[in-house]
Amino acid sequence: MPENSRTVLVCQGTGCISGGSPDIQEALAAEIARQYPNGEIRIKHTGCHGFCQRGPLVVVEPEGIFYTKVSPGDVPEIVHSLQPDSAPVERLLYFDSVINRPVRSFRDIPFYYRQQRLVLRNCGFIDPESIDDCLATGGYQALRRALEMKPAEIIEEVKKSGLRGLGGAGFPTGRKWEAARQAPGTPKYVICNGDEGDPGAFQDRSVLEGDPHSVLEGMIIAGYAIGAHQGYAYVRNEYPFAVHRLGIAIKQARERGFLGKNILGGKFSFDVDVFQGAGAFVCGESTALVLSIEGKRGMPRPLPRPRTTEVGLWGKPTLLNNVKSYANIPLIINRGAEWFASRGTENSKGTVIFSLTGKVVNSGLIEVTMGTRLREIIFDIGGGIPAGRAFKAVQTGGPSGGCLPAEMLNMPVDFDSLTAAGSMMGSGGMVVMDQDTCMVDIARYFLDFTQRESCGQCIPCRVGTRQMYDILDNITRGRGKPEDIDTLLDLAYSIKESSLCALGQSAPNPVLSTIRYFRDEYEAHIFEGHCPAGVCQHCI
Amino acid sequence: MKNTFTISIDGKEVQTKDGQTILEAALDNGIYIPHLCHHAELDPVGVCRLCLVEMADGELMTACRIKVIPGMIIRTKTEKVNKAVRPVVELLIGYHHERCAGCPAIGKCELQTVMSHLKIDRKRVRRLRPPPEKRPADTMNRYFDYDPNRCILCGICIRTCEVVQGKSQLYYTGRGHETKVAFYGSEQKCATCLKCVANCPVGTLMLKKPAEVK
Repeated sequence: MPENSRTVLVCQGTGCISGGSPDIQEALAAEIARQYPNGEIRIKHTGCHGFCQRGPLVVVEPEGIFYTKVSPGDVPEIVHSLQPDSAPVERLLYFDSVINRPVRSFRDIPFYYRQQRLVLRNCGFIDPESIDDCLATGGYQALRRALEMKPAEIIEEVKKSGLRGLGGAGFPTGRKWEAARQAPGTPKYVICNGDEGDPGAFQDRSVLEGDPHSVLEGMIIAGYAIGAHQGYAYVRNEYPFAVHRLGIAIKQARERGFLGKNILGGKFSFDVDVFQGAGAFVCGESTALVLSIEGKRGMPRPLPRPRTTEVGLWGKPTLLNNVKSYANIPLIINRGAEWFASRGTENSKGTVIFSLTGKVVNSGLIEVTMGTRLREIIFDIGGGIPAGRAFKAVQTGGPSGGCLPAEMLNMPVDFDSLTAAGSMMGSGGMVVMDQDTCMVDIARYFLDFTQRESCGQCIPCRVGTRQMYDILDNITRGRGKPEDIDTLLDLAYSIKESSLCALGQSAPNPVLSTIRYFRDEYEAHIFEGHCPAGVCQHCI
Repeated sequence: MKNTFTISIDGKEVQTKDGQTILEAALDNGIYIPHLCHHAELDPVGVCRLCLVEMADGELMTACRIKVIPGMIIRTKTEKVNKAVRPVVELLIGYHHERCAGCPAIGKCELQTVMSHLKIDRKRVRRLRPPPEKRPADTMNRYFDYDPNRCILCGICIRTCEVVQGKSQLYYTGRGHETKVAFYGSEQKCATCLKCVANCPVGTLMLKKPAEVK
């Protein structure tokens, strides 16, 4: 390899692609071939690098030179700067307004160095369509190691790691694996839940698009641990890149003997197929997802019911985990449960990935240690609120979560703190709102989403979320009634207590949390016909 | 001969037998628990959520899907049950387009039974916003019509058809409040047994008048 060998990475995450990064990559490839015909400069595309706000992104490794908002016109200059003694193109570098100068490497930007990128370690660095790139970073090493362990040892390791699932309850992953292993009946199935559908959430898709092999590796290890031979990756139909790249990864893994019959020459056989969802939010619920794979209408099954680990897909024991849960598994096996459990808080271990969006300077895909304070995420990593506006609230957990006010900014982000505050970890969406956001309007927005996505089978969710939406919509149009807040609270209580599944049970959360923390805004709309944020046109 | 034993419902000891659900035990003993999606001949699905009862540990459970256990203590009229169930019935009535007068189901309507049992207060229903626009009836079947505006989506017609035909010719379609019951594929597969119409607890599935039958 020539001494000055450098690699140009072009982010091909969804954000950068929509910003035109395929054209940039094409132009870069042509220009590099012209200026460096001896092949000393390599070019490759990666999954989401994380800093979506500044895309399209181009990174030059090994230095980590970080070019932001690149356009095809910048290409000749960038390529010219790859000469051994040339300086980087300064005008394209990230400008740090705190130290008041451009920053050369992304590793010196607070947005990156304040994060703890473990699950996202390969996202933005490897070519997601190349298994060799993945292997070069240690891919499938955990699988080798796991296949030398006994299944019970693997499950013990996952239990000891403290990893928790991303459903509403944060159920311990290891215990789920154990239940799936102990459940009588064969065959067993492993399912990866990639039906991420929350507004403002894009971390499952980013992991699948940026590092699909880590998810596959986790699924194979899970299959070995519970005694399954078939896995399904359930991915939303609206995620074509994720489906495409996962498909390539599966094909490559089969060719290299990581998937299929007699994995790595041993006795264990396991295969994975992709199943594309048809675009129903409720299919992220485990029992609805299972029905959807069976070709039925995705409607959650009511309690009491057997756990999916006992009676799941085709009535067989089934292990169902989220994309990120599987992506954590290679880390736990490679580095050990103790290493993993040393990160995070008492009851929430490891890291958490958020899609940081909304009224925040640096939006993008971030990963932080569990227990990181909201303030640190929004102000240190996120760079605070743009245009000198004031922070008002942050919404986590999508339509099932809640809005937390400024008083909660010092709260550590973990499963239990979020739940206690009336929100949830859930999908990992994090939407920041500033003083120009109307909280009634936000509640209306989320209820509009849930009432559309209700599967329709139970009355409180089907009719109740629609009614809450109608009332909220009326309030934002200046047609609120004095008793509306009480009506909303009555309905919220009933819907939470009586709905059949978690979608309905959590649907009132955006309303409850906004009434809890921003009741004065509701009252201003209803009693004064005034929208304090100046959003609702009929109540200014 | 199944084992018989007693359980307590609202402080009253009632006789019940193994394999029964709480709802069946209550109804057998003359204790009414509101319900819409229950039908004696069909498997329980627990979708109407009206038969929620409070268990000894304070949890709310659907009486139609919990089997009785000796010594079980059930309460059906607690504040918790009331706060959970009453708004659900109010919501249903608030979204009902028709007035009862003139409805062919009058007198045999299960929703009316639930309403009078709970003594639903019309004033509380008026707090709610009026329902969205009326939807057209489905008149495709030769012998009966389907009125989505009266439908409570209890699924009894679907489960009935499943029992008759093995696979129901009727099924849910749509999402959210636009969910309704429809024929999938061809309504020609309808066996015209009309059991779905007979089992409909409200006035949603109605026989066509003889003159309308094609």
